Amino acid sequence: MVAAVVGLRLRSTRHLLAREWWRMLVLVAGFIWLLTLVPGVLWARSSLYGAQIDTRTAALASLGAACAIGWALVPVLVAGGDDTLDPRRFAAFGVNVKRIMPGLVVASLISLPAIFFAFMWLTLCSSWFAEGPAIGALALLGAVVQTVSYVALAKVCSSWAARVFANRRARAFGFAASILGLIGFAFLAWSALHRGLEALFETDFDTLINSVARTPLVSALTAPEAAANGDWALAWLRLGLGVTWTVLLLVAWRGTIAEALVTPVYRSAGLRSRPDAVVTAGRGVPFLSAKDRVGPAGAVFARIGRAWRGDPRYISGLTAVILLPALFVAVVIPAFDLDPRWALAAPFVLATSIGWGRHNDVAYDSSALWMDIVAGTRGGAVMRGRFAGVVVWALPLVVVAALVVTGWTGHWELAPAMVGTAVGALGASLGVGAITSVLLPYRTPAPGENPFGAEVGSVGAGLVGQLASSAATLVLLPLVIVPCILAVIVDVRWGIVATIGGIGIGVAAYVYGLVVAGRLYDARAGKLLAAVR
Amino acid sequence: MTEPAANDVAPAMALRGLTKIYGTLRAADAIDLDIPVGSFYGVVGPNGAGKTTTLSMATGLLRPDAGTVHICGIDLWAKPDAAKPLLGVLPDGLRTFDRLTGGELISYAGRLRGLTPDVIVPRRDDLVAALDLDSAQGTLVMDYSAGMAKKIALACALVHAPRVLVLDEPFEAVDPVSATAIRRILIDFVAGGGTVVMSSHVMALVERLCTHVAVVGAGRILAAGEIDDVRAGSELEQRFVELVGNDREHRDLTWLRPL
Repeated sequence: MVAAVVGLRLRSTRHLLAREWWRMLVLVAGFIWLLTLVPGVLWARSSLYGAQIDTRTAALASLGAACAIGWALVPVLVAGGDDTLDPRRFAAFGVNVKRIMPGLVVASLISLPAIFFAFMWLTLCSSWFAEGPAIGALALLGAVVQTVSYVALAKVCSSWAARVFANRRARAFGFAASILGLIGFAFLAWSALHRGLEALFETDFDTLINSVARTPLVSALTAPEAAANGDWALAWLRLGLGVTWTVLLLVAWRGTIAEALVTPVYRSAGLRSRPDAVVTAGRGVPFLSAKDRVGPAGAVFARIGRAWRGDPRYISGLTAVILLPALFVAVVIPAFDLDPRWALAAPFVLATSIGWGRHNDVAYDSSALWMDIVAGTRGGAVMRGRFAGVVVWALPLVVVAALVVTGWTGHWELAPAMVGTAVGALGASLGVGAITSVLLPYRTPAPGENPFGAEVGSVGAGLVGQLASSAATLVLLPLVIVPCILAVIVDVRWGIVATIGGIGIGVAAYVYGLVVAGRLYDARAGKLLAAVR
Repeated sequence: MTEPAANDVAPAMALRGLTKIYGTLRAADAIDLDIPVGSFYGVVGPNGAGKTTTLSMATGLLRPDAGTVHICGIDLWAKPDAAKPLLGVLPDGLRTFDRLTGGELISYAGRLRGLTPDVIVPRRDDLVAALDLDSAQGTLVMDYSAGMAKKIALACALVHAPRVLVLDEPFEAVDPVSATAIRRILIDFVAGGGTVVMSSHVMALVERLCTHVAVVGAGRILAAGEIDDVRAGSELEQRFVELVGNDREHRDLTWLRPL
């Protein structure tokens, strides 16, 4: 069975590479990138070979912990890659978990990241040969255990994340927990960093490393330290702890496979009845004309509002744009001991992130775009409704953010300029986002899938869309931001230019963007569906 | 290749030289087809024959590489705002905005088509009753079964009272009771002067419902016309096999027989 699963993996990869040439480019680029890391690994090995035992242990433990976090998070955040070995694919063949598990483990180890990490840990841990052959051999054993634990950790994290995202209630709970976790992390980061990065390294870093080194996460890597200090019992205990951790991860992974084999994705028979909120939606909505409120744009507005409230893909985007400026204020400014006036940039970061985040907006309707297209030339109405659904919460949010930050820094004289500039940044970036979302859409996860996942085949197109929207936004933004910067550092009277210019440019760019995007939508109607499905 | 006739006597749908090429595959290869007003037109063909590609191009969902589509004499790709209101579309395999309830989805389709709430509400209620979706009207479409989702999509295609209905596999995954209701709606629609274009793999269904049929194979129309003319005295299924060819070796799976 091991040979069958490994063969399946290799054959599928070969066929996929033959069918889609860009995958070969990605594979070669990844391989070359990993090759460029090899000299660094060898240099690190020679440095570690000559280092003190404590230094070597601290370096390996901190790198091991950082890599473990990466292996846990990356498969969750960047899904959509290779799903050949998704256990659900095996469900129809009637194989049980006992037969399939060894094959899946071995096949999972045959990947560029796993091979590279195995090489890296074997090389780095061989530096323990400086303390003698027995300790070196123990370190190599630890390197193997560590690599297998990474692969198992990645599988467990991605399987559990997939399970959370598969259920609406669990999804909501997962999001709430993630947001609370991130807020907690931001608070901890602020607490740790408010004395500056240097102070953190001087006082807390050693404590952190020592604490991490004792956890099962990296104990397989720190076993040789105990042996080098003559305590072989502790060394075997640490290695045993590492092995136990890996076995526990494998057991958890086995559990998710067993579950997946007998739990196909199904649609629950929801019984909650709701009144029709679409038939008259749009009345009284700001940012829509009187005609739009009773027309198709009002219906699109209602639909998009539902998505912003309940679709994880939208909610995750919203969370990200709020967290980015929050982390800037809470982490970056105290960590690098920046002038508090840097906080004035936060509302613009927020406004631009919201607008830029809409650069692939239309693709979020991939599975149902056909309804809008078959209804006629509705591009203008669709785009006006979509973006009114963003402006209705984004405009108050950036205005409040601008006022809060202004009040926090105590520069109330800059309030009009701050508000004007934030509105300008929002309008300009939304205008650009509206056009690129129609002109350069790329595939996104369908509704109900992992909102963080990149759709297979979307890498190249996504890069083009993101670069184009970034470039256009960067060209427009100085027009609204420079007067505000001058108001902050040169003369507060520049604030008048920032206020009027910001609002004027923001509104003009938003309206122009929607008009152009609407026309492009109708002109490209026959290609849009193929581009996003 | 002849130009389609003027609006008053024009076919419900006229395809001329419709072509779509994916790499080296000609998914639709210069397709010419006239679908008369008031006909119940079946489009049949083996898997991968180009049925869905052709219907996608015929409904404005996929831009053809060459050729034209006329709906009641109006060029769909040149004047989509005039032609699309005449069409009702139920594509196969495409999902809907499933965070709306069934009732909301019909209202949404109605508003996209420019209908006012006082027109939409009674039509929505009629459609959910006719398709036996009363109890599910307030449920999110994401919680629907495949058959219910198909029925609600059909309701969306009907809400603006189109003149031509294009349905890709409308009976797939639908239970027999619902299928009867859908059949009744479609037959009444045709009896009232409407035109239905329906793709299906079920020959018996096409034979029972359709007045006309087109057999598609390898991106081309192999035969088209009134159903009796196409089947030429034999069963449609037998004629279909003759047209698309079945030269595959017949091999007995003797090992499959229980001992």
